[in-house]
Amino acid sequence: MMHPSALRLEAHLLDPARSPVSGHVEGCEDCRAHLLTMERQGDDFMRYVYPTTVDTLVPKTARRWSWAGILAPVAALAAAAVVLVVNKGPPADYIGTKGVAIKLNVYAGLEAGARALSDKDQVPASAALRFRIQPARPCHLGIVSVDEHGEVSQLYPQSGDVAPTLERIETLPGGAILDGQPGPERIFAVCSADPLPMQKVEAAVKTAAGTGAASVRALDAIPGLPSGTAQATLLLEKSR
Amino acid sequence: MAQLYRQYGPVVYRRCLALLHDREAARDATQEIFRKLLMDQKKLLERESVLPWIYRVATNHCLNERRNRARRGEEELQPDLQLRKEAPPDLFPERQLAQRILARFDEETQAIAVGVFVDGMEHEEIAQALGISRRTVLRKLGRFVENAKKYMLRSTG
Repeated sequence: MMHPSALRLEAHLLDPARSPVSGHVEGCEDCRAHLLTMERQGDDFMRYVYPTTVDTLVPKTARRWSWAGILAPVAALAAAAVVLVVNKGPPADYIGTKGVAIKLNVYAGLEAGARALSDKDQVPASAALRFRIQPARPCHLGIVSVDEHGEVSQLYPQSGDVAPTLERIETLPGGAILDGQPGPERIFAVCSADPLPMQKVEAAVKTAAGTGAASVRALDAIPGLPSGTAQATLLLEKSR
Repeated sequence: MAQLYRQYGPVVYRRCLALLHDREAARDATQEIFRKLLMDQKKLLERESVLPWIYRVATNHCLNERRNRARRGEEELQPDLQLRKEAPPDLFPERQLAQRILARFDEETQAIAVGVFVDGMEHEEIAQALGISRRTVLRKLGRFVENAKKYMLRSTG
């Protein structure tokens, strides 16, 4: 019996759903044993090789998040049974009458399908996420996150320093993939009536978050943002 | 970039383990190969063709590393490559492809021989992975088999 080549088994591991050899693999003990060995070697890579080599290959600033083009379709997200909304409300310097309210929904694309996340949820450290934002009125939207090392990442807009205007409830195009490192990751969505420089948001988060897991977990609002800026936050616990 | 490394790093690492049989060497080679791959990020994002390309770069790099080891006189330290069950037993009775046989051929022929006898790739598949024609695969493979047989006869006779 001809078994699938090593390359075909690699393609199978990368995308089992579209693998032309899955039928063979199911009925082939040798191939399943081979795949198990390959998976163990893959674990070995993630545990011992990736952490010690990633710094020399990928600059830290570009490493923490990457954008994903293909995630669960919007319809699947909308059909999620439980939609959990986290809205921390404004910080002390928020002037309610001038500001805008905002709700942040985060969805993880998991093997079992899209799942709406709630605060402090555990997610795989390399999970793919999508964001759905509900502003009470049009506002300038930015999304950032911070980890226990105090590293702040700009998640939306994907590039540029000006938070774009969000007119209505929207699932943002694309998505982001977590950085693969276990630990807390706090996500903030901020929405302001006036144009909002993302640099200012990042700096405010960095100052407030400091470093350390406890600090990130405790930070439930970004202080020092312009008056009228609404914000919502969600804490994720990334795990292996 | 980090996501690409997480996604395809295991593929490269496994390839290097299979060809180098050494975790440390496989780790260093993986890092080196990714440094090369990341220089052509546009190609890395072409999902349809990226895996064969990565496989080819990794194979060439690791075969080259084996050649360098042999040149440094470390040939005895590296185990021969384990053949697939389907490989013809008359060609390699010990079920192994020895570095001293591989070393007698050019880089492309080595990649073809490893692809066919070690990885179990079909001719068409290997042609696509190496970016050459199926005819070239057949021609080089034929020459490899013929010369490998002669070499084994000489060395056992």
